[in-house]
Amino acid sequence: MVKVLSSLCFTAALALAAPAAELKSAGPLTFGPNGTLFAGDSAGGRIFAFETKDTKPAKGVTVEIKGVNTKIAALLGTTGDQILIADMAVNPISKNIYFSVARGRGPEAVPVILKADTAGNLSEFALAAAKQSSVSLSDVPAEGGRQRMEAITDLGFVDGNVVVAGLSNEDFASSLRSIPYPFQAATKGAGIEIFHGAHGRFETNAPVRTFVPYTIKDKAYILAAYTCTPLVRIPVSDLKPGAKVKGTTIAELGNRNRPLDMIAYEKDGRAYILMANSSRGVMKLTAEGLDVYAPITAQTEKQGVPYETVDSLKGVQQLDKYDATHAVTLADEAGSLNVRTIGLP
Amino acid sequence: MKAWLLLMASAGSLLAQTVLRSADGKEFWVEKPAPGESFQVYVGDGDVPPVLGAFSAGNGRLVFRPRFFLADEVRAIFRGVETRFPALRPAASPAAIVETVYPTVDRLPENLLKFYVVFSAPMQRGEAWQRLRLLQADGTPVELPFLEIDQELWDPANRRFTILFDPGRIKRGVLPLTEVGPALVAGRTYTLVVDAGWRDAAGAPLRTGLRKTFMVTEPERRPIEPLAWRVGAPPAGTREPLVVEFGRPLDAALALRLITADVAGQARLAAGETRWEFVPALPWAAGDHRLQIDVTLEDLAGNRVGRPFDVDVFNPVTTRITGETMALPFRVERR
Repeated sequence: MVKVLSSLCFTAALALAAPAAELKSAGPLTFGPNGTLFAGDSAGGRIFAFETKDTKPAKGVTVEIKGVNTKIAALLGTTGDQILIADMAVNPISKNIYFSVARGRGPEAVPVILKADTAGNLSEFALAAAKQSSVSLSDVPAEGGRQRMEAITDLGFVDGNVVVAGLSNEDFASSLRSIPYPFQAATKGAGIEIFHGAHGRFETNAPVRTFVPYTIKDKAYILAAYTCTPLVRIPVSDLKPGAKVKGTTIAELGNRNRPLDMIAYEKDGRAYILMANSSRGVMKLTAEGLDVYAPITAQTEKQGVPYETVDSLKGVQQLDKYDATHAVTLADEAGSLNVRTIGLP
Repeated sequence: MKAWLLLMASAGSLLAQTVLRSADGKEFWVEKPAPGESFQVYVGDGDVPPVLGAFSAGNGRLVFRPRFFLADEVRAIFRGVETRFPALRPAASPAAIVETVYPTVDRLPENLLKFYVVFSAPMQRGEAWQRLRLLQADGTPVELPFLEIDQELWDPANRRFTILFDPGRIKRGVLPLTEVGPALVAGRTYTLVVDAGWRDAAGAPLRTGLRKTFMVTEPERRPIEPLAWRVGAPPAGTREPLVVEFGRPLDAALALRLITADVAGQARLAAGETRWEFVPALPWAAGDHRLQIDVTLEDLAGNRVGRPFDVDVFNPVTTRITGETMALPFRVERR
């Protein structure tokens, strides 16, 4: 049986942008402390940190924005088929909801970050005016004509590090990096190799579609969902540049399915994971005792962590935690993308 | 309900009390507004916010400069009067085609990892998964054969699209296949269809779609062995190509990027990506030369140099690869 798999890992040189680098594309978003917004830029091969100064605490209230795709297109002065919403993240302090958007769909598309306040009003987050820093994910200068790119599939902020999952458009390789923040000029970050107990390179090098930081018995992990939906537990303490990390597959959640987004929460003293999927709806996973599930080593479907499907949630593409008892969802409902807060199930 | 007076304002129209647009479309203004008066500019109908932009006042005018150029039909409302401005977007006509689909050969291994679709012009993101299908010989589509990720894998120019097969659908005897089966089965014929409706960056569909029909062969599980390649060294003093025969097709993008010569020149692939040809910028110098081969080079099934795709990396199979690259020497002789 093939035990492990292999490698990803491109070296990543992490250097502060000398003159300020400009965001070339706006992809995955995540918030760090004090209103710091991290944005993944696949086109530019960089991770950006913006000080939003959006730190006025707000209490969670219900938010609903119907047709957010239509409204964003109108705000940006174009039609709905000329924008792409890449990600949505809630500022945990202000509860304002941030969106990464491409205005245009060709190579000249302009990246825009928008903010919806708790009344649902949209405005532009002025990137140029914000204090910012960035790191390059590659030490290979982008030569003219170079075609290799790495798509950033998810970002998270864990224990002072930005964790970045990515996928190449040439070599069959996925990558996971952990970058200390504040970004430091001389940080040399290599990719992290994740070895899965039971899977071949197909799975290991398949992209991490989404992941969520999670604490099990005071130990920080990330739970990463791969394509064809294995759920893998990776200790954060192992996520050091250049490290070879052993991930443990703790659930197979079925195939013909793509995990889209995940959040972790507690309810009535119990821990859960909520996971949006392309074709299996929104799953609520019991997150108690994730440390004790035996690693899955045999290829069988749907085992490990128990879950139920939340029937009331349809078409959910994006999820983020809103407050202790609510999540915010971006759902496709008959072609209209609607944002709303929901009670955590 | 307000009954808006609808006016189609043609360029140069100077109706009083309505919003005007500059000839280049970059500014909208009203003349002599009352103090505190403003107007709104919209793209799209219904309950939508006004477009982003900045107002400025001067010379008796209130001017609005939108944050982005407004190529679509615009509505502007001033004193309850709506003015519509026609779209400034030139009608795009179909021009782009699919130039090449890699691999170019029509016999592909069952454990094929990917296709590259190369277009003649930059394309739009966001619709790839509606535009690609894999058909079986009877014309029925293979269900979800590809890794459909929202972060579509384009090159920086949006001209080359990478299609990865879903890792769960590549045959290797594990779980997902027991339920849905592999996407490709040896001995069968398939057709990759690129739909003509795929829009280019200008918004026009392709001039024509593309169908690539291929036969699936047994899986390829051998590592790449550069020492087994046939290297045809050119004579010194000429710019004849160095010809390297791989003996099997390699990944087109990686073969061009990861095999390099020790002199400047131009590489190309031929014979269905089984052959690498290199034309030097200057005539070949007699003597010993070498090719550098990055060991992350892959064939169509992801097998790497000295290492088949799906192996335990702790297994000794990889131990003879010590560096990131290996050198393949060759000698250029005088004719």
